[in-house]
Amino acid sequence: MSELWQGPLEKIDNYRWCIPKSYKPGMRVPGIIYADEKLLKDIRQDKAMEQVANVAFLPGIVKASLAMPDIHWGYGFSIGGVAATDIENGGVISPGGVGFDINCGVRLVRTSLTQEDIKDKLKDIVYALFNDIPSGVGSKGDIRVSAREEKEILVKGSKWAVEQGFGTQDDLECTEENGAMQGADPDAVSERAYERGKAQSGTLGSGNHFLEVQVIDQLYDSELCDAFSLNLGQVMVMIHSGSRGLGFQICDDYVRNLMPCLQKYHISVPDRQLVCAPVESPEGRAYLGAMRCAANYAWANRQCLMHLTRRAFEKIFSTSWEKLGMYLIYDVAHNIAKVEKHEVEGKAKNFCIHRKGATRAFGPGHPALPERYKKTGQPVIIPGDMGRNSYLLVGTQKAMEETFGSTCHGAGRVKSRTAAVRSINVNTLLKELESKGIMVKAHGRSTIVEEAPQAYKDVNDVVDVVHNAGISKRVCRMRPLGVIKG
Amino acid sequence: MAEKEYELLEHTADIGIRVRANNINELFKNTASAMFQILAEPKGPMTHAAEEVPVNLNAGNPEQLFVNWLNELLSLSAAKELIFFDFKIKTLENNRLEALVFGRPLENFQINTEIKAATYHELKLEKTESGWLAEVIFDV
Repeated sequence: MSELWQGPLEKIDNYRWCIPKSYKPGMRVPGIIYADEKLLKDIRQDKAMEQVANVAFLPGIVKASLAMPDIHWGYGFSIGGVAATDIENGGVISPGGVGFDINCGVRLVRTSLTQEDIKDKLKDIVYALFNDIPSGVGSKGDIRVSAREEKEILVKGSKWAVEQGFGTQDDLECTEENGAMQGADPDAVSERAYERGKAQSGTLGSGNHFLEVQVIDQLYDSELCDAFSLNLGQVMVMIHSGSRGLGFQICDDYVRNLMPCLQKYHISVPDRQLVCAPVESPEGRAYLGAMRCAANYAWANRQCLMHLTRRAFEKIFSTSWEKLGMYLIYDVAHNIAKVEKHEVEGKAKNFCIHRKGATRAFGPGHPALPERYKKTGQPVIIPGDMGRNSYLLVGTQKAMEETFGSTCHGAGRVKSRTAAVRSINVNTLLKELESKGIMVKAHGRSTIVEEAPQAYKDVNDVVDVVHNAGISKRVCRMRPLGVIKG
Repeated sequence: MAEKEYELLEHTADIGIRVRANNINELFKNTASAMFQILAEPKGPMTHAAEEVPVNLNAGNPEQLFVNWLNELLSLSAAKELIFFDFKIKTLENNRLEALVFGRPLENFQINTEIKAATYHELKLEKTESGWLAEVIFDV
C-alpha cells in the first residue's frame, strides 16, 4: 500500500479529528474525521485523508469536509465522505461526490422466523435465493421492461415496482424518499444509459453487492427493539445493490459533460474526478435530474430484489410472505446527493448534501420520516463483511447538528482486492466461514476472496465510533447465516 | 499485446494499472486490452464470429480522450454485450480518435470483475525516455 499519510491531524476528542484548513492552500473549510485511535491507524495507510482535504476545495462547501469512520481511499471523494454545499452561494454538485453506482444502498427485511425455524432449511433458502435472483457481473433479469416503462421507472422508482405487484404501499413508506426522488428528469438521461439499464432491473450485480440471510445476535436498546419488533434469534434479510449499468453511464456522461464547467465557472479542484458545477447552473441541474433518475431506478431495483426474495421464501415455506412476517424495516441510499434543509450558524436553508459511502441518519421528529419512525429516528442499515456482523442503528439529533444528518455506511475496506487475492485461499476461507455457520454461494471464486472479512475493517469498531460520537444509536446487531454474492 | 503486459497498482477499494507502449496509439490499444483482460477471460474456443464496432471520439485534451476511450469501450461492451479483444486505432490526433474495435459475445467469456468506469484520479499519460506510460484507476 502507499506511504503513511503524514499530514496534520488535530485531536478534537476521542472520536473526532481535524485536518486544519491551513493544510493546503485552497481548502475552504477544515476536514473532520470521525474515528478512534485504532481506526486512525488504518485510515492513515492510504490516501483517504488527502481526499478529505481535496473535497474541502469545492466551491460553496460549508462547515467541514466530513469523513465517517469507515473512510477509505476512493477516486476523487474518499469513500465515507460527506460534503454540504450552500446552493444559494454558488455551492456545487459533483458527480464524483456520488460515484458511479448512484444510490448504491441497503434494505433490511425482518421475518417472524427464528434461527431454529430455518436450521434445516438454510441450504434450500440459499440455493433458492441464488437461483431465483439474477446476480453476477452484467447480470440480466427476468423483469424485462420496454423503453417507455424504463422512463416510468426513472420517475416513479419503487412505486413502479409496487404497481407491477412487486410489493405494497407499506414498502414505499419504509424507503428513503418513499422510493422516488422528486425532480427526476428522464430527458437528462442519455440513450446509452437507457440501453444499459433496460435488462438489469431486478438484478443484484457483483463486487460488494450481496443478499444475506442473517440472525439477530445482540440487542442494544429494548425500547427501540420493541418499536421495530425485533428479538434475539430472529431471522432477517439484507439486500445490498445499486443502479447497475444505468447509474455507471449517467455518472460517466456527466463527468464528461461537466469537465468544461471547471473553466466556465472558474473552479479549481486538485483532482479532476472532483469535477463539478454550481447546483443552480444548467449543467448542475441536468446532472441532478439525471442522478435522481438513477436513484429511482436503484430503489425500484431493490424493491424487485425484495419481491424475488419474498417469493423464494414463500416457495421454501409454502406460505405467504405476510405469514412469514417479511416486512421491510427500511431502505437507505449510501451514494447520493440530495437537496436538504439544514441549520448552519443558526440559519436554516437548502444545502446540497453529498453522501459518498455515507448514510442519511435523520433524528427523531424529522419531517421526512414516516409517522412510524418519528419517535425512533430514521432506521440506518450498516452492512458489514460476510464473516462478521451487520447493524441496525437509528439517526440522532446530534447527527442533524454535526454531520448534516449523516453517518457511516459499512465496514470500509482495508486491504486491496489484489492483496486479498494474493494472500487468501478460497477453500480455507470457505471452511472458516462454514465453521462459523455461514454458508456462501457466489458466481466467482475471486469475488469471495476479494470480499473476504480480512479485506475489511471490523464493522464493530466502526459502529462503536458513530454510536459513541452520538451521530447514530445502536439498535441491534446481526450475524450472517447465508450469503449470496454476485 | 501479450498476456498481462501491464502491472497492477495497489488501491484499497479499486483496481489501478500501469501500462507501457512504444507510442501513444499503442498505449491506447494496450490499456484497452489490459482493461478487458482484467474484466474477462475466454472460456475456451470462440463460438461466435468477431463483431466490428466503430468508435469516434473528441475531447478537450489527450487525458480526457484517454479516459473517454476507456469508458466508451466499457459502455459499448455493456450495451452490446460484447467483450472486446482487438483495437485498431485509425486516427489519433488533435484530441480526436477514430478506431475500429472487435468483440465477441459475452457467453464466450468468464467474467471476472465488473469495471464500472475509468477515473481521472491519479491519472498519468506521459511520454517517457523509452516510450509512453499510462496509469489509470478503475472503479470496480
